[in-house]
Amino acid sequence: MDVLSLSSSSSLSMCKPFQSHGLPLSKQQRVSNVKFGAVSCRVTTQENLYKVLSVSPGNATMDEIKRAYRSMALQYHPDVCHDPSMKEESTRMFVELNAAYKTLSNPRLREQYDTELGQRSKVMSVGVDHERWRGSKLQEEMIEVKTRSRRRMAQKRGISGTRMRSQNMKDRH
Amino acid sequence: MAEPAYIVTSDSETTGEEKPSTFSEIAIGIDIGTSQCSVAMWSGSRVELLKNTGNQKIMKSYVTFKGNTPSGGVCSQLSHEDEMLSGATIFNMKRLIGRVDTDPVVHASKNLPFLVQTLDIGVRPFIAALVNNMWRSTTPEEVLAIFLVELRAMIEAQLKRRIRNVVLTVPVSFSRFQLTRIERACAMAGLHVLRLMPEPTAVALLYAQQQQQNAHENMGSGCEKIALIFNMGAGYCDVAVTATAGGVSQIKALAGSTIGGEDLLQNMMRHLLPESGNLFQNHRVKEIKRMGLLRVATQDAIHQLSSQTSVQVDVDLGDGLKIWKTVDREEFEEVNRKVFEKCESLIIQCLKDAKVEVEDVNDVIVVGGCSYIPRVKNLVANTCKGKELYKGMNPLEAPVCGAALEGAVASGINDPLGNLDLLTIQATPLAIGIRADGNKFVPVIPKDTAMPARKELVFTTIHDNQTEALIIVYEGEGEKAEENHLLGYFKIMGIPAAPKGMPEINVCMDIDAANVLRVLAGVVMPGSRKPAIPVMEVRMPSVDDGHGWCAEALNRSYGASLDLVTLQNKA
Repeated sequence: MDVLSLSSSSSLSMCKPFQSHGLPLSKQQRVSNVKFGAVSCRVTTQENLYKVLSVSPGNATMDEIKRAYRSMALQYHPDVCHDPSMKEESTRMFVELNAAYKTLSNPRLREQYDTELGQRSKVMSVGVDHERWRGSKLQEEMIEVKTRSRRRMAQKRGISGTRMRSQNMKDRH
Repeated sequence: MAEPAYIVTSDSETTGEEKPSTFSEIAIGIDIGTSQCSVAMWSGSRVELLKNTGNQKIMKSYVTFKGNTPSGGVCSQLSHEDEMLSGATIFNMKRLIGRVDTDPVVHASKNLPFLVQTLDIGVRPFIAALVNNMWRSTTPEEVLAIFLVELRAMIEAQLKRRIRNVVLTVPVSFSRFQLTRIERACAMAGLHVLRLMPEPTAVALLYAQQQQQNAHENMGSGCEKIALIFNMGAGYCDVAVTATAGGVSQIKALAGSTIGGEDLLQNMMRHLLPESGNLFQNHRVKEIKRMGLLRVATQDAIHQLSSQTSVQVDVDLGDGLKIWKTVDREEFEEVNRKVFEKCESLIIQCLKDAKVEVEDVNDVIVVGGCSYIPRVKNLVANTCKGKELYKGMNPLEAPVCGAALEGAVASGINDPLGNLDLLTIQATPLAIGIRADGNKFVPVIPKDTAMPARKELVFTTIHDNQTEALIIVYEGEGEKAEENHLLGYFKIMGIPAAPKGMPEINVCMDIDAANVLRVLAGVVMPGSRKPAIPVMEVRMPSVDDGHGWCAEALNRSYGASLDLVTLQNKA
């Protein structure tokens, strides 16, 4: 459990992670559910991936991330959840856990995510609906061809900007 | 009230969500191999293998048809060899189940000493046993069900209670359609499948338990260990790479193929008697007997070659046809060179898919009946850069022990000593996707994705004012759609008229913890946040027998008129 106590950023009671992550009851989740019924079936909420795994964003090591993933899997994998009424919830939670782990356990994806996380908080502060971040394979491939140079980073910001704009345009339709 | 012998859980014959049971019954682990079978369960403190009345832990997988009461290899006291010669015994059902008659594996089964008839039109093959000089037709599902009924009776007699829930091991390369056939056979035998576990992942779970026990004993930190598991039985060869720590086995990659001891045997038979294929074509009683004799002699020779470097094959097939030949180990290895090469390529592929370097592998585990063959052990060790093979497991019992552990874990059994604080995080053995971008297979859930999984991809129309689209779901690794297993199809109707490329067609795939696959499709028009038509949800596989025809028929009827392409900026 020493891993979980590292989650200083969220200062949450770790014995009740369901509540602490706010997953079953969060508004975001509800929004996502409505969306699913309506349009899409994406399950990933806008939760911070570090919070999903209960690790510290700044300095969690790979080993800590792996251990956090395993210990949470042991608690929330549908195979170890024997309350039938919670099965669906634990499945959803685990899918989310996987998405978080997939990103944070890959150094390149993690770096990319950290950058986006920085941008996201900026974007959110000006009140724009932020782009959902997904660790899809395509995205992974996209990242693999990217270099880490400043010039490229600037370019990437440009792309994100375009995406954000098209999102805005859509909203206006 | 007597329990119904047939338990149909749904129209599509697949098992649904586990029903909450009133008491915590421990699911039994069953490993039905192509040639051998074993049963194990958690006894409260450890896994125990159950024995049959003949005191055997490893039983032969076959069913003999005689008169009205077929009998299987669970309690039959007759020697396998005698029965095999008569044509009345069906075996290798695991190789035949869920395959159509155009499948090369089915064709290779035509020189088994019973009837496997193919019409090569994409339907299930005709399989029959010779009973009183008559061909009695059966199906692989029926044979498996008869065998399972016998197995169930054996288990219930020993436990003195009814059993219902089972965890079965399956080959990695089984398609989801084949899995439904296994579930069907279990349902016919009154068994409920709690989990179908790819064989090497069952071994991985046993390994996870062993590592956890070691960590407890040594007060170790329980750091992550990577294991490569190679499992080769009579019918299939599977490889898994797993990362294990703290009792959690995380499957990083899977690879599998329909190659096994049966191929080694057939290649050897062809080597000993090159005209064997033609000789047995007509399946007359005398030919079946010859086929059986040759098979037994060849099998014995291969077994002996595991411990000695050469063997004398001496068999009289009757009518002056005799085989008298010395075969040495090199000859056997040369005859089967391609099979062994395929094994190597599976290991290399699996490591690559897992993104694991050979140097990072902590343990190399070889299990299955073929693990006794020196060449097999060598090829695995050599491919893993000469790493010593793991010694802590019985190669024939490891998969069933893993299945029993999974059975206990999935049944919610707790062990005060923590021996059941285990978990397998399974991965998809094959990619699942749809036909799009012409005749391409576009995966929505990639291979080796952690399960339960949920992924989506956005597609769009290829014609202006295209109001309908066909969603044809496949599973596999082939680039072209038809190289993969067809799982099902449905049509989206009522797409609002729009220029091509405008409508967004969301295809989402969802695999739950019980490995049930659902495909969802919805249509959204740009600028709208609401779906244009109700979302469709289809449980797959939805195809039935004769599905070999479906894709062709769809193509003939609709061509590219209802096609889709991936929407690049949304992917």
